[in-house]
Amino acid sequence: MITDKTLIKVDGLKKSFKDIEVLKGINLEIKQGEVVVIIGPSGCGKSTFLRTLNLLERPTSGTINFDGVNITDPNTDINLHRQKIGMVFQHFNLFPHMTVLKNMTIAPVKLSKLSKTEAEERAMKLLDRVGLADRALSYPSQLSGGQKQRVAIVRALAMQPEVMLFDEPTSALDPEMVGEVLDVMKSLAKDGMTMAIVTHEMGFAKEVADRVLFIDQGIIMEQGSPAEVFGNPKSPRLKDFLSKVIS
Amino acid sequence: MGETLNIISFTEWLSGAPGWLQSCPDWIQNFIFQCYQTFIYADRWKFFLSGLEITFIVTIGALLLGVIIGLLLAVIRTSHDLSVQKPNVILRILNAFANLYLTVIRGTPMMVQLLIMGFVIMVPKTDTGTVVCGIITLGINSGAYVAEIARSGIMSIDRGQMEAGRSLGFNYVQTMWNFIIPQAFKNILPALCNEMITLLKDTSLVSVIALRDVTKQAQNIVSITYQAYVPYISLAVIYLIIVIILTKLLGILERRLRNSDH
Repeated sequence: MITDKTLIKVDGLKKSFKDIEVLKGINLEIKQGEVVVIIGPSGCGKSTFLRTLNLLERPTSGTINFDGVNITDPNTDINLHRQKIGMVFQHFNLFPHMTVLKNMTIAPVKLSKLSKTEAEERAMKLLDRVGLADRALSYPSQLSGGQKQRVAIVRALAMQPEVMLFDEPTSALDPEMVGEVLDVMKSLAKDGMTMAIVTHEMGFAKEVADRVLFIDQGIIMEQGSPAEVFGNPKSPRLKDFLSKVIS
Repeated sequence: MGETLNIISFTEWLSGAPGWLQSCPDWIQNFIFQCYQTFIYADRWKFFLSGLEITFIVTIGALLLGVIIGLLLAVIRTSHDLSVQKPNVILRILNAFANLYLTVIRGTPMMVQLLIMGFVIMVPKTDTGTVVCGIITLGINSGAYVAEIARSGIMSIDRGQMEAGRSLGFNYVQTMWNFIIPQAFKNILPALCNEMITLLKDTSLVSVIALRDVTKQAQNIVSITYQAYVPYISLAVIYLIIVIILTKLLGILERRLRNSDH
């Protein structure tokens, strides 16, 4: 379902924290409908890279074009663009003082100006899709980890984003709950959602990714289709990494 | 003679008292006489009532002002301390101002602040002006303490909440208002409740700028009757009852806010 339209274009992206350069110049294009999975050893900068895509981390230099707009330009209203970039976090980050339904409707109602009823209708459809319609009035603390993450995904979807960013969405889950979250993500990919996913789930990456990026030492060391990256790794670092994560 | 000064002598009172009192021991007669003088004679309970009105007005006004000031200061200080990049000039100036404010207000006695506001800065001429002066002084004072309480509350909220709000497209202020502050408020409610009780009791100092709060009224009664025992003990009981009621009410509010925690 990949189209010709370039949704995200990253040029010469660098990011330093104090004296440590975490990203050392990343160039990347993501097409609309493409599913990009980012892998790499811990501390390699893959999460930082994902977080720069919606400017949760401001890059030190380089540009990011989203949908033709340079969002790294200080004059761009990033809040407007973030509405089109959904993000799912490792630790869910649901709002604990609101019900599931409120978690999902507050942003559309207050930002994209849907009426409360419209937003609730949309939210209920989404909850139904991930099998949580009966939990609409629960509070996050009453949900299991897997349920929380499914809610976090549909909360982001409620804004009807053009791209979804996933920052290690299954890393904080008990093993038996990983599957239910990955299933939701698979169905999203099938529907043609553009996705950028940082994950350690190699099996999932093989199955769903259109392209796999291997980030190490602050650069994209290798990229290609899952078959190329997992079947025929070229760089020694990637071979080493894969031998450790795939048992 | 007694009528013009609006006082009544013990013998005068006893002669008009019901028969059963005449046969009571002296100390009971004396105690009841003092209560009579403090509350009933010449409708003196109205002193307490009008004093309480001032006390409540000043407390509520100062509390609102204090919470507003405190919240603003807390947001400024946390935004400054938690900003990843070097904070911009405006934020740095605001932060410096906030620090100065906290140092000065927390470093000087409330009594001195009242004297300065009442006789140097505002110098109110009317009754309303004096009330406003009291509210502003106590509000500014309380704001400094609320600021530190609120700051600890905001800091206690996980960074992920801010990131979640921002990633949905809310700006910084909207995220603070919709997600961070409601959660922080719940966490700091016990400390805020303490601050409110302190504030209520601190209003007893406003008599130095000639505000007739309930403490001042008790003093007035003492200066008429020359008997301190009943008026001051009653005053203490009045404060105690208000504080107990407040504590109960805030306890109920706290439990209601905890509903989402299960």
